Amino acid sequence: MGWTGLAVLVLGSAAVQAAPDKPTPPPAAAQGSAGFSHVKSLGGIDEYRLDSNGLTVLLVPDQSAPVVTFEVTYQVGSRNEVTGTTGATHILEHMMFKGSDAFNDTKGNSIKQMLERVGGEFNASTSFDRTNYFATVGRESLEGYIAIEADRMRHLWLHEADRQAEMTVVRNEYERGKNDPENVLLEEVMEAAYVALPYHHPTIGWKSDIEHVPIGKLREFYDTFYWPNNATLTVVGDIETDAVLGLIKKYYGVYPHSPAPIPAIYTEEPAQSGERRVVVKRPGELGAIIIAHKVPNGRDADQAALEMLDAILSSGKNARLYRALVDQGLALTAASGTDVFRDLSLHTLYAALTPGTTHEQVERALVAELNKIKTSGVTPAEVASVKQQYIAQDAYKRDGTAAVASELSEWIGVGDWTLYVTFPQRVQQVTPADVQRVAKQYFGADQSTTGWFVPVAPKMEKGS
Amino acid sequence: MIRLSMMMALLAIGSPAAANMADQAHRSKVDGIDLITYRSNVKDVVVIIGVLPAGDAMVEAGNIAIPTLSGMMLDRGTKSLDKFSISEKLDNVGAEITFTVGVQSLEIRAKCLRKDLPLIIDTLAAELRTPALLGGEFNKAKEQFIGELEASTQDSSVLASEAFGRAVFPEGHPNRPHTLKEYIAAAKTANLEELKAFQAKYYGPAHMTLVVVGDVSDADTQADVAKAFSGWSGGQDYLRAAKPAAAAAASELTVPLTDKPSVSVLFGQASGLRYSDPDNLPLRLGTAILGRGFTGRLMSTVRDKEGLTYNIGASMGDDSIVDGVWEVSASFAPALLNKGVESTRREIAKWWKDGVSEQELASRKQGVIGGYFVSLSTTLGLAETILANAQRGYDPSWLDGYPKAVKALTRDQVNAAIKAHINPNAMVLVEAGSVAAPAKSASTH
Repeated sequence: MGWTGLAVLVLGSAAVQAAPDKPTPPPAAAQGSAGFSHVKSLGGIDEYRLDSNGLTVLLVPDQSAPVVTFEVTYQVGSRNEVTGTTGATHILEHMMFKGSDAFNDTKGNSIKQMLERVGGEFNASTSFDRTNYFATVGRESLEGYIAIEADRMRHLWLHEADRQAEMTVVRNEYERGKNDPENVLLEEVMEAAYVALPYHHPTIGWKSDIEHVPIGKLREFYDTFYWPNNATLTVVGDIETDAVLGLIKKYYGVYPHSPAPIPAIYTEEPAQSGERRVVVKRPGELGAIIIAHKVPNGRDADQAALEMLDAILSSGKNARLYRALVDQGLALTAASGTDVFRDLSLHTLYAALTPGTTHEQVERALVAELNKIKTSGVTPAEVASVKQQYIAQDAYKRDGTAAVASELSEWIGVGDWTLYVTFPQRVQQVTPADVQRVAKQYFGADQSTTGWFVPVAPKMEKGS
Repeated sequence: MIRLSMMMALLAIGSPAAANMADQAHRSKVDGIDLITYRSNVKDVVVIIGVLPAGDAMVEAGNIAIPTLSGMMLDRGTKSLDKFSISEKLDNVGAEITFTVGVQSLEIRAKCLRKDLPLIIDTLAAELRTPALLGGEFNKAKEQFIGELEASTQDSSVLASEAFGRAVFPEGHPNRPHTLKEYIAAAKTANLEELKAFQAKYYGPAHMTLVVVGDVSDADTQADVAKAFSGWSGGQDYLRAAKPAAAAAASELTVPLTDKPSVSVLFGQASGLRYSDPDNLPLRLGTAILGRGFTGRLMSTVRDKEGLTYNIGASMGDDSIVDGVWEVSASFAPALLNKGVESTRREIAKWWKDGVSEQELASRKQGVIGGYFVSLSTTLGLAETILANAQRGYDPSWLDGYPKAVKALTRDQVNAAIKAHINPNAMVLVEAGSVAAPAKSASTH
């Protein structure tokens, strides 16, 4: 249940275009929601704060279908882990399905029993910056789900027997990831690109930490981060504001603010002073390349220009990487994208090699395309086309409550949900000069980390 | 605890805009195309999905790479526009058209804004009717296809699926897959003339279904389709197996791979059932009780209690047009493989011997019906359901009929279907990964 962060930008492409530019007053019906402060409204999204404990609530009414997506996002991810506890955030996410005081398998009312009984679509995921839990249900089932989600915020069962059973489950998830050499390549590129920031280690953790993290550490993690003032609830769909705020107050209002401040990350990444390279050799048929550069955090104003650059490089058959690599027979696929993080983000150029093509050829071609943008920029027509694509994405993104909640959760993880609304507007303001400027500023060779997946002939297994 | 009355309330509101969902659907024959339009509550968005019988299984004696290569050539230019001009036209309105090739069908997917629907239907028609089929592009498509196939030759799940499909379906059955090696060899020798002949024979409106869902006008859409596809002819029906596949003899196959710390496992048999067969729905519900979701018996025991796997589930599929498959899929670490397989066998045997309980069935029926309505809350989900129903031989009234049919199922029906169609003693087991001591190596790789 990991999320690398790449999806942020893909989803970011689908953000609201028609949203109001500035904050609007709260909806009239919500003026009397006792116990909540209205924080702001933007683009059809209303933000409230539960006064008693600091819980943040985002409401997105949408009556087009009789369903609701409810999602809780905790501001804790693998960036909050240290050596010995890597993967703890993710293991804790798994343990959240083991039962809580009021809702568990013994009582026959656990979260999976309740949600599968009503046909809810549900899951959870952990990324570098956040952990989320979500379900889409018929509106009549919303209260039942809120009750369970609230109970496990502070009354989770954390038993050693459950940890032992779940450890092997998580280890198999880890092993499945290791089956894919390109996933391994991305992990090793990140390990090289980040020296100090905790994005250095994979969200799923090191295998030895997965196997040995004690239950006490998981309890410590839970008691540090699972508090209302470190969580945001997002409710999208067929809701009435007063009614849903009433339910949230009923189930979450019983909890106090965290007894201690939520620990902040103060580590900063030192400047990179030279090119870094990694090589992964595993059995396989075709090679792959990733060229990575660290770029500003996901809230930075330059992210819009980077998004434009990525779309010009890799969106559709007219994209520059398609024309230069795929159409020329050098790559099966080629892409440019940004993993948008709360701290320094990671931009990657990726290509899967065609049979007979060398890594050197493809790396040269990728770098040449970046250099063309640095030296000659992009055309107004390219920029205009991407902007048109965003306008269509505006409509597409509203088709389905789960997609809206999911994208909001990623922006919450980055540290500012309003980017759901304002990021597409920023993209509409990007000029060709902006794209050329960010290419020059962030894509220096000395700031790059390049990874090659080099396939080797498989050894025959014993007995085969 | 969710009471039944609450579930019924969900059913009552499950239809967003009408007492019967089918009332919103309009089905017509337009220039030979089976066109189904559905006006949903979404604003501005239109989803178009469709199929026509031109899948991999169609070339019974010909070059097996041709159907996929044919599909790959469709977005590489038309007689009047090159591929870059088409891409630019779509990019400039934020629209998408993609083609993929499955076992029996060429599959079409497109998305656009309401205002751009005529443009997208025009483009789709041009790509299907008048593809450029240039030699240079054909060679690029071949290289692309071969590269993708070669990239899969170390993929444990792809290889497990290939070995399993070949073990459970006999020669000549449409669901029996060719091997990656066979596809690679065929792609290398494929020529453009074969491809042109394939398209001339199989691409046509005769058995094509097009589903258009979202912010649409039925009349306008019919007019757009009529204009774009006017005068098009041809097309072939789907392949129907002469008789359903019988369960193969029990066997165990290993696909040994290096450096794959998670073993992909498939376990099952040919179901012998098409979706529309009377026993299919009861067996589907029984299978869901065994292995769907976190509360399925397999996840509850093999994952939750025993901690042997990240994922295990049971399902039925590939049965829209011909008889399909019943399978359990899972992944295990090599060290836990034997224990995992043993636990899986135990749960299947218990399920087969004792059947499902009334409580399990009641709960699962609620869940299946509730999940059905949740899945219809997006335009794509609705479109996919309408198309699947059409392929399975149902008219749009099955949108409303399906939950009623699920609700009416009895425990006796479910348990009788399990006994009649599943044979725990005739299961095929495939293990693909770094398995130290293979039982019998699959001949497919």
